[in-house]
Amino acid sequence: MEKLLQQACKKVDSAELFNVKIKTIPVNFEVNRLKSIDISESEGKALRVINKGRIGFSSSTGSEGFDSMVEKAVATSEFGSTASFDFLGETKRSGKEKINVYDKKVVDKSIKEMVKVGEDIIERMKDFNRKLRYDVTIVKNCNEIEYFNSRGGNFSYSKTAIAYSIMVQQIENQDMLMIYSSIESGKDNLELEELTSEVIENLEWGEKIVHVESGKMPVIFTPKAALILILPIISGLNGKMVLKKISPLAVQRNKKLWSDLLTLYSDGTIDFAAGSAPFDDEGVEMKRVPLVEKGEIKNFYYDLQTAGIAKVESTGNGLRASSQSEPTPGISNLVIKEGRVSFSEMIEDIKEGIIIDQVLGLGQGNIISGAFSNNVQLGYKIEKGKIVGRVKNVMIAGNAIEELKNIAALGYKAKWISGKYKFPHIYLKSLSVSAKK
Amino acid sequence: MREILEKVLKNKKNNADYIEIRAEKKEVTTIHFQGKKLEKINCSQQTGGNIRVLVKGGWGFVSFNQLNDLEEKVREAIEVASLIGKEESKLAVISPVVEIIKRELDKDFRQVSLREKKDLMENYNSIIMKSNPLIQSSNVIYTDRFSTTYFANSEGSYIEQEKPFLSARFTAIAREGDNVQLASESVGTTKGFKRMEKISTKAQKAAFRAVNLLKAQPVEGGEYTVILDQTLGGVFIHEAFGHLSEADFLYEDERMSGLMKIGKKFGSPKLNIIDDGSIPDLLGSAKYDDEGVRTKKNYLIKDGILAGRLHSRETAAKMGEEPTGNARALNYRFKPIVRMTNTYIENGDTSFKDLLSGIKKGIYAKDCYGGMTTFEMFTFSAGEGFMIRDGEIAEPVKDVVLSGNLFTTLLNIEGVGNDLKMIESGGGCGKAGQSPLPVSFGSPHLMIKKVIVGGR
Repeated sequence: MEKLLQQACKKVDSAELFNVKIKTIPVNFEVNRLKSIDISESEGKALRVINKGRIGFSSSTGSEGFDSMVEKAVATSEFGSTASFDFLGETKRSGKEKINVYDKKVVDKSIKEMVKVGEDIIERMKDFNRKLRYDVTIVKNCNEIEYFNSRGGNFSYSKTAIAYSIMVQQIENQDMLMIYSSIESGKDNLELEELTSEVIENLEWGEKIVHVESGKMPVIFTPKAALILILPIISGLNGKMVLKKISPLAVQRNKKLWSDLLTLYSDGTIDFAAGSAPFDDEGVEMKRVPLVEKGEIKNFYYDLQTAGIAKVESTGNGLRASSQSEPTPGISNLVIKEGRVSFSEMIEDIKEGIIIDQVLGLGQGNIISGAFSNNVQLGYKIEKGKIVGRVKNVMIAGNAIEELKNIAALGYKAKWISGKYKFPHIYLKSLSVSAKK
Repeated sequence: MREILEKVLKNKKNNADYIEIRAEKKEVTTIHFQGKKLEKINCSQQTGGNIRVLVKGGWGFVSFNQLNDLEEKVREAIEVASLIGKEESKLAVISPVVEIIKRELDKDFRQVSLREKKDLMENYNSIIMKSNPLIQSSNVIYTDRFSTTYFANSEGSYIEQEKPFLSARFTAIAREGDNVQLASESVGTTKGFKRMEKISTKAQKAAFRAVNLLKAQPVEGGEYTVILDQTLGGVFIHEAFGHLSEADFLYEDERMSGLMKIGKKFGSPKLNIIDDGSIPDLLGSAKYDDEGVRTKKNYLIKDGILAGRLHSRETAAKMGEEPTGNARALNYRFKPIVRMTNTYIENGDTSFKDLLSGIKKGIYAKDCYGGMTTFEMFTFSAGEGFMIRDGEIAEPVKDVVLSGNLFTTLLNIEGVGNDLKMIESGGGCGKAGQSPLPVSFGSPHLMIKKVIVGGR
């Protein structure tokens, strides 16, 4: 690899090669039985060069000759952006020394064992109710990442992940109830009870359909639904959006914007979280970056190029969407600091309101403006401090940047979502709800 | 390629009920302008393949980048499939095909220089940026892809298909103080580079709409009579109804298939819905699907009555229906699943003006930001919205998100226009992690009663 890079450097100022190998094995159960098992192996090489001060890029799935990759990268550099950085000559961690992201037990877990987990989940659910449809996926993942650049920077690491997910479907006449849930970890330590107990609780709450009147009312977002409120913040704090002045948060740094309760950080150093790694995808040390503290924006997040233009330091958030992409500012893991109130205390506090657990149309629309408008795919009504049933044909709408000013409370127990977001319950004093008559 | 694939199939023929091998080679160019700057320019080359085997009703699937050791990969696929298989394998019978399909392009984008492509997009980008001082930024994303797929199965089929694809997406971002609005226009085609050379009006339109949205007030939430334009009508029928017609959701689920019983009334007699992968050269078109089944015109709803659904060979066999040519895979990493191709609502006989005239207070919703559906519930965001007052289009409104129950909404389609347009946009359809799959959709203007619109 290093040789190849040196060879490339005869034609360019400096170069970087990012190499990924991924092996993914999903075991799929459909309609309560084992349906398919896949073995997916993929690899990708991404070459980024700086040639006459400009960035060039090309990528390949590996079978293409390296010369042709260099040629394409040089061709694109002719039009590429002016490089505002150089590759790091040294890739070294100064913070937390070891970030654990690899568990050999995941690699060694056999397909038969995975099948067994899936069967156990379905059995557990069938004990609760035999008549429902359960689709379950058990998936394991092993990534090998290698990085070299012509200035001497290099690192490599292996990373594992395992996830259990379930979708439950109940159909009665024309009412379809759908509940999904998943748990994920870098370590083979998942407890299937965690998954099934949540789903069973939701099924129990959802048995009865109840009516809700349109209007403003208190709303609790479960950790699973909290992304509705946080997505616009993620997008608005992206250094690139700030640099280009697209973000409405661009001018709000160090200003008190939201409730005191809101503290939010990006952290790529948490052991076995999905977004963790010793380095980001361009060799910058991953860190814990405070984004919002007590309602005040503290930092935006950056990759090398964006940071260079903005004349700040990269925050170690240069991530690639795939092995075929260039780094761009991205969130590793996102953590919202927990509050002090339990979910049941929140419910008890509400005279009339709703709980939002799943929505349709997440991330749809003009996210960066903060505006959201979603169909409540799974939500519950609270009356006089108690959950009375499930709501249907209901939409919520608001502007996340505004709504987060009025947080009534945050839950004291945060939950990992998709392995990379750690969110508590978010209780808002008031939100617009429209319901079909 | 044919020899390589057929050799592997010969060796292992007896160990599985069915084996297929797919390979793909593609070259992709992407150019992305953001604001005044060229954000990204990228050429990539991809090769890969997969093997899918069926053993006693269980599927094993192996995907890879390196096309070596294929025999070993077949063995692996059979091994995992054997863990599943406990019943009889069922696949709808089709006759084996051997065919090589080449594509003629109006202007072959592989022969167009990177500079020419870049200059063209730069020009569109500056149209957006210079159109109005309120334009803060832009996104112009161009992609071209030439892929060749190779398919061989243990029944003797061998099909090679060339699949060109080009798209350009223009997004204009307008800003006034804290008010940030964006509007997008996009174009996709399989026909060649010429189409890409004549889309400056799309760039102008994106900028114009983004600036107009700055003035628009958020829509007031509630229940309205809405008129959907051809794009949104097309998205609606694709998202809300089309996905429910995909038989992989139904075939092993009695209650779902009960809901989608052929012959059941779904709408007024004016309503006709079709999926047709055999229309030449549209985004969702191909002569054969990814299981080697010939594509065709399939009525999903005829005269308001459920008339058919979309199948893979497996779902067709299990439901005792004919295969429809709808098994599609995004690329070599994925197995074919039941997908739409080109989906549309046929023309009715009411003019747009007549649709409007009966509405006292309603919403005219145009274009689309995106849509989602979970079986009977759907939601989609209009790219542009206007109030309708006393039969006339009135002031613009923003953040228009429409939502509802599919079954009641289809029954509530009271007017079908006479101005069908097929939309070929640069986006695509997503399902089971396979996104964006090129599709096209279309509709005449539709008038629907009692749609919930979210709003503050």
